[in-house]
Amino acid sequence: MSDHNDNAAAASELQGHAVSGRPTLEELKERKARSRRRLEHTGEVMTISMGPQHPSMHGVYRAELDLDGEVIVAVRPEIGNLHRGVEKLCEQRTYHQIIPITDRLDYLAGFVMNHGYCEAVEKLMGLEVPVRGRYIRTIAGELCRIANHIMWLGVHIMDLGTQTFFCICFRDREYVLDLLEMLTGARLTHSFGRIGGVAKDLPDGFAHRCRKAIDFLPQRVAEYERIVKHNRIYYKRAKGVGIFTSEDCFAWRVTGPALRSAGIARDLRKDEPYAAYDEVDFEVAVEYNADVYDRFLVRMKEIRESCKIIRQCLDNIPDGPFVARDAGRTLPLKKNVLRDPAAMIQDFYQVFEGPQVPKGEVYRAIEAPKGEMGVYIRSEGGAKPARIRFTTPSFYHGQAVPPLVEGEMISDMVAIFASIDVVLGDCDR
Amino acid sequence: MSAKAVSAAGKAERPLSATLAAAKMELEERFGTRLLGSAEFRGELTYTVAPEDWVEVLRFCKETPALAFDQLDCLLGDHLPERAAAPLQVVAHLLSHTRGHRLRIKTPLVEGRGLSTVTGLWPSAGFDEREAWEMFGIVFEGHPDLRRLLTTEDFVGHPLRKDFPLQGTVGGRIRTDLRGKI
Repeated sequence: MSDHNDNAAAASELQGHAVSGRPTLEELKERKARSRRRLEHTGEVMTISMGPQHPSMHGVYRAELDLDGEVIVAVRPEIGNLHRGVEKLCEQRTYHQIIPITDRLDYLAGFVMNHGYCEAVEKLMGLEVPVRGRYIRTIAGELCRIANHIMWLGVHIMDLGTQTFFCICFRDREYVLDLLEMLTGARLTHSFGRIGGVAKDLPDGFAHRCRKAIDFLPQRVAEYERIVKHNRIYYKRAKGVGIFTSEDCFAWRVTGPALRSAGIARDLRKDEPYAAYDEVDFEVAVEYNADVYDRFLVRMKEIRESCKIIRQCLDNIPDGPFVARDAGRTLPLKKNVLRDPAAMIQDFYQVFEGPQVPKGEVYRAIEAPKGEMGVYIRSEGGAKPARIRFTTPSFYHGQAVPPLVEGEMISDMVAIFASIDVVLGDCDR
Repeated sequence: MSAKAVSAAGKAERPLSATLAAAKMELEERFGTRLLGSAEFRGELTYTVAPEDWVEVLRFCKETPALAFDQLDCLLGDHLPERAAAPLQVVAHLLSHTRGHRLRIKTPLVEGRGLSTVTGLWPSAGFDEREAWEMFGIVFEGHPDLRRLLTTEDFVGHPLRKDFPLQGTVGGRIRTDLRGKI
């Protein structure tokens, strides 16, 4: 707690105004209005282009900035440089074949994308996932969340001007990626979800290695906080910068850590539980100042909570099947395909014909590391979706950049842009 | 197998949540026969409205306290060529943070007919409507900046329409006519 008091003292010293623990919405609006007041007296405007190759822009995002001196007057975001026509492609594939496409959306948290898609298809089919499958999904999803947040932290701090910390974060992310590789066979594009469960059971020795990693990671988070949280340069760059109140978040569909930093305890893992999240005990990370600094704090809390969730899953994971056995709708276990004639027939049927899905439309959203990720499927029956839409968080976060940065300084643009966490594969689809 | 089928069917007829049932009553009382159709599937509620009522219904959903849909979760276009009278469709997914329920509202559109924008209600519809325009050719009247979003500016056609070829209309093609001859 003493850390907080230090920070509060430093804030009033650095910024000339006292920082209360939980500002009201009106106070936040007032702070936001303070930066927007710079827009009232603009002189000559110069237009520059930031990105798509700017070293501090994440991926191929381009922003056309109108500047008055150092103040950003207007922003026009341009996305689409990484558009791959995912939704068109999905309409030509059976439901099983879409899974590897989904983890190319947000490639920093590939399994979460698989998971969201599989949840939507299972809702459409009315298919129950076995308990063990749900636990394995939770473990893999939380590992992805940790990897994503560590990566985010490294890149965010690099944007603010240091290289070394980026390497520290990448080294720690390797521990998580090694675990994911052990579990799924791939470091980034896992394609590990299956309709009705997951592709493989937990490998031998995974629980032991995973426990070691999740005992170790909270220490690393404490280390990050020692380096970043109390760093005066970071504090000055991040505190009170890029304020986005909860009302703004609703209006611009900004979700995830950015919404939780605005004092709203909204987390689909709690509010609309899926997988095994209703069977584990964890807290929703909430902060109240709605600025870049609090988004950092929220993500650090989330890494700790994710470790807690994984530990509980490893403790409580039951035995049993990890994927639903439903001959008409799921793939058989690969090891049985060349031994068991029934499994072989099922495999041929599922690969060539695809699963039989009822007519209807569903929308299912899950909590991806970057925000709420929804999948809309309209099915006309048969093995292919008639229309699929991935409602990815980065798409809306990229759109929300103008209201976030207008009135701020250009040097804060990269800090604010990083703080809402945009990945362009997720954004452009 | 039969037990599984029963549980799946039971899930299909999952009842609406209490808040959503209240929202349903409120909506049906207000609009009555102007709601062209409704469907319940897997605990989700869908209404079809006429394009003329689009903004009015969505505004009602946002501003009525019993509904309180403060967030537009997504808005998307769709193409149903088999429905010749109105082959296009716009679907909006609404979410209420305060009440925790979701609603889907859609409207059928004839070819060449525009739809009023909802960017005035939820600014987040801006990119969604631009995407629906470039992918399906649905014009949103009153949209502040209706340009192509994901494709290049000189792109021709609306790629998510069902009659648009998967391989595209420009660039290299796979010569299917030569299959078996060489």
